[in-house]
Amino acid sequence: MNPNLIALIVVIPLATGVLCALARRSTPLCRFIGLTALLANLGLVLAMLGSLGAGQPMFVSMMGKWAPPFGIAIVFDGLSGTLLAIALTVAVAAYIHSWNLLPRHIEHGWFHPLFHMLILGVNFSFLTGDLFNLFVAFEIMLMASYALMCLGGTRQQMSQAFKYVLLNLVGSTVFVLTAGMIYGVTGTLNYADLARFVAENEGALPTGFQALAVALLFVFCLKAAVFPLWFWLPDTYHTLPSSIGAVFAALLSKVGVYAVLRMYPMAFANPGVDDLELVRTILAILAGVTMVLAILGAVGATNLRRVVAMILIAHVGYLIFGVTMMNAESFAATLHYMAQEMIIIAGLMLCIGLIEQRAGSVDLRELGGLARRYPLLSTMFFLLAMGLVGIPPLSGFYGKAVLLREGASSGAWWLVGATTFTAVLTLVAIARVWITAFWSELKGPLLDLPEGAKAGPDMPLPLAYAGIGLLVGVSLILGFGAERSYSWTQQATASLATPSIYIDGVLDLNPIRDLPDNSTLALIEPDLQHTVTP
Amino acid sequence: MNIILAFCCGLLAATGTYMLLRRSFVKLVIGLALLSHAANLLIYIVASPLLGRPPLVRAGETQPPAPFADPLPGALILTAIVISFGVVAFTIVLIKRTYEEIGTDDLDQMTSTDRDLC
Repeated sequence: MNPNLIALIVVIPLATGVLCALARRSTPLCRFIGLTALLANLGLVLAMLGSLGAGQPMFVSMMGKWAPPFGIAIVFDGLSGTLLAIALTVAVAAYIHSWNLLPRHIEHGWFHPLFHMLILGVNFSFLTGDLFNLFVAFEIMLMASYALMCLGGTRQQMSQAFKYVLLNLVGSTVFVLTAGMIYGVTGTLNYADLARFVAENEGALPTGFQALAVALLFVFCLKAAVFPLWFWLPDTYHTLPSSIGAVFAALLSKVGVYAVLRMYPMAFANPGVDDLELVRTILAILAGVTMVLAILGAVGATNLRRVVAMILIAHVGYLIFGVTMMNAESFAATLHYMAQEMIIIAGLMLCIGLIEQRAGSVDLRELGGLARRYPLLSTMFFLLAMGLVGIPPLSGFYGKAVLLREGASSGAWWLVGATTFTAVLTLVAIARVWITAFWSELKGPLLDLPEGAKAGPDMPLPLAYAGIGLLVGVSLILGFGAERSYSWTQQATASLATPSIYIDGVLDLNPIRDLPDNSTLALIEPDLQHTVTP
Repeated sequence: MNIILAFCCGLLAATGTYMLLRRSFVKLVIGLALLSHAANLLIYIVASPLLGRPPLVRAGETQPPAPFADPLPGALILTAIVISFGVVAFTIVLIKRTYEEIGTDDLDQMTSTDRDLC
């Protein structure tokens, strides 16, 4: 398969966004274009994933044929491909769901173009192999998310959007600063070349490299909502319509985790480099504290959206824990857990949207008896929630079991303890929701309407159910087919445990170092600027 | 010269941080704009523009004569400027709308919207 097809994964959402902007007066046309494009994109990603194999660990496309590390590399490997496929599945489900549940005035105002621009940013973040390009991808994603947050323009939305925008502006500024300084000390921004630089300069890393690694971690932790930078997330996801909230919850925070998973084992926290021990310790502490504090928040919250948002943050802690163990099994488990969690969190957010529409509230104090009135919705909620808790045949079990096993064998006992504690409290939080909202007496602001009324609680919403059903289906496949899905994630993350696969894959495409005239390179070495006096 | 640029960068960053700590929306955004200038200037210093000649290739040669300034940071700065321009423009519109909705320019007053959420 031609590696330049990767560009299509970014171009399709861009073109769709533009087309939807042109066609925004016609909602059916926008929906048709949008869904077709998402499905086409998903098909392309699956086809490319299918043609990856032992002989072809990744597709690399160099924009404008500039040889690496000077050009911008776009890399499609098992890790980014898997996450792309999951992200697009979530996008399809949320998109279908939005046709039933997104308020009309929001859909008419630029929802479609912005949604596709958000997907563009997410896809680009997963594909890029260059730090500065990642900044650009983040900005595209954030810009679309700022605008999506303001759609509707209610008082709460504006105030939350304002805080979200300001925080992310600070994050972006730190990102530019750090990227500039990393270029200054290493002379490269290409992930593979950075990894090569770190491995080659073991014991002689430039002054302040650790600080840069931590500053970059600040940016990614802000995106991924890791302690202590998670305070913005619960309030933000609160004010969003559920279809948009599902996409934010599943994709935006995971892009930050992806960046950590991609760059830290290979370069900034390379386990083979002793100088970077500090970064690994910080990662481990952040993972443990995030899990424990966030899950306590989930147990205490009374608002269903807040419960799910806090559980989401706690499970980001799991993923960071998986990254800190730095071995092949833990990376595979992290990817498996991350993939299923994206699906499940999105599914739960979509369920909450439906509950809100049915019962008129998402406050646990006002809800009750949903299981009797809405058996299908309750079953789907139950399957997703139990998958998140990790009850054995369901999808969360396998990844969690491997993470715990690896944690125990690597001797990180306090983190194993924190993980177990979090798992138990996740069950408590979910059980509390289940008992109060689903099992108790039927109640809810809207549920007093007579049964059979076609408005409010009993309006048929087939598309919303279809969207959730799609995610439940994928989550069940990941759970029941854990043996195959896990062995797939093992293949996909092989390059994390053995960075040379990734480094060689990217840098050997057009090996400029083997050109007969090596002098071009010597002139662009970073220390040139310091050795030449004016 | 580099030391002057470094001081400018530090001054911009310090002013930006000070403004960021104010309670007024408008000053916050001015602070952010200043911080992004500081970031851009820092990348410019990283490129050490004053130590080399422009990286222009003479006719008939394959590489510019050494020492030449690294052209890449210029491209990075340009991208960062364009992005921060767009984002600041968006933020200013957002401030106006937020001010109209909430009726205050004070961040401390904005907590009223948080309380409704819990």
